[in-house]
Amino acid sequence: MRAKEVAKRPVVTLHGEDIAQVRDIVYDASGGNVAGFTLAGRGIFAGPLKTGLSWEQVHGMGPDAVIVADEDALHPQADVVSKGAGGGGDVLGSRVLTDTGTDLGKVVDVILQVGTVLDVVGYEIEPHDGKNVFLPLPDTLAVSKENLVVPDAAQEFMTDDLAGFGASVEAFRSRLEGERR
Amino acid sequence: MRFSQAKGHQVVSTNDADTIGKVDGFVVDTGTAKVVALHLKKTPGDGDLLSWADLKAFGTDAVTVESASLLAKASDAAKGQDVVGSRILTEDGEELGEVKDVEFDTADGSVTALVTKNGDEVEGIRMIGLGSYALIVKRV
Repeated sequence: MRAKEVAKRPVVTLHGEDIAQVRDIVYDASGGNVAGFTLAGRGIFAGPLKTGLSWEQVHGMGPDAVIVADEDALHPQADVVSKGAGGGGDVLGSRVLTDTGTDLGKVVDVILQVGTVLDVVGYEIEPHDGKNVFLPLPDTLAVSKENLVVPDAAQEFMTDDLAGFGASVEAFRSRLEGERR
Repeated sequence: MRFSQAKGHQVVSTNDADTIGKVDGFVVDTGTAKVVALHLKKTPGDGDLLSWADLKAFGTDAVTVESASLLAKASDAAKGQDVVGSRILTEDGEELGEVKDVEFDTADGSVTALVTKNGDEVEGIRMIGLGSYALIVKRV
């Protein structure tokens, strides 16, 4: 799923009450996973909340809602934000370079995949010409403010099809795993 | 039977054969997946809630109870949320549609299926919780 689509998604308890909505994603220190979310109120209570939601408290994450057990899943926002580095969220607009020096374009969205962790698996990139493409990422990645450097091999696994992107990520990561051995 | 068919059923007291109201709504307990009470309209007094446990029978044409004295005044809390019209969300955060009708067993009030607007059926026993935003159901 695209990170931009996660924003505004309702946070709903197993009792069926919507208690908040996602405001921003907090990435963990490595930038490789999502640590949690900052929240906003719903409806007439819209506006930033002082509470946040860490990924450990999420019961289910889907296209239409973030499910939590109950209100107790929300904690002071500072507790959630302290787990993050903030770096991962600032990648929008950054230039992506391969480790052999090719400029692939700029990041327009972050692609997430739900598992036991909420994994940052790729970036949507706007190339200098042509259609947007999805670039798979290694499990962990060093990020600076202006540039992202990805392995040259990532280029081979780029796709313009988000539906089939999961397979590209898997193939790319197992290739990296193989090279390491 | 479906809620849409059961709605409007006459409720008759077996003591004096009087009609004490008409079925107007259903209170569903998501934990047990059962209808636990009926809302009535056109009742003789203040009482408009009938506990399922107090029914003699939920028949094909009418509902029978012993007497009109079993009617209780429904508090707002007892009324709960209406299942019909609720959006169904799985515990994985995926919407399955809106509940259009509910299939239940007239023998014991068990909710056997939730029928969505698209005609899909979701098993009643999958229900976890019902709130103002959604009806949460277990993943398959």
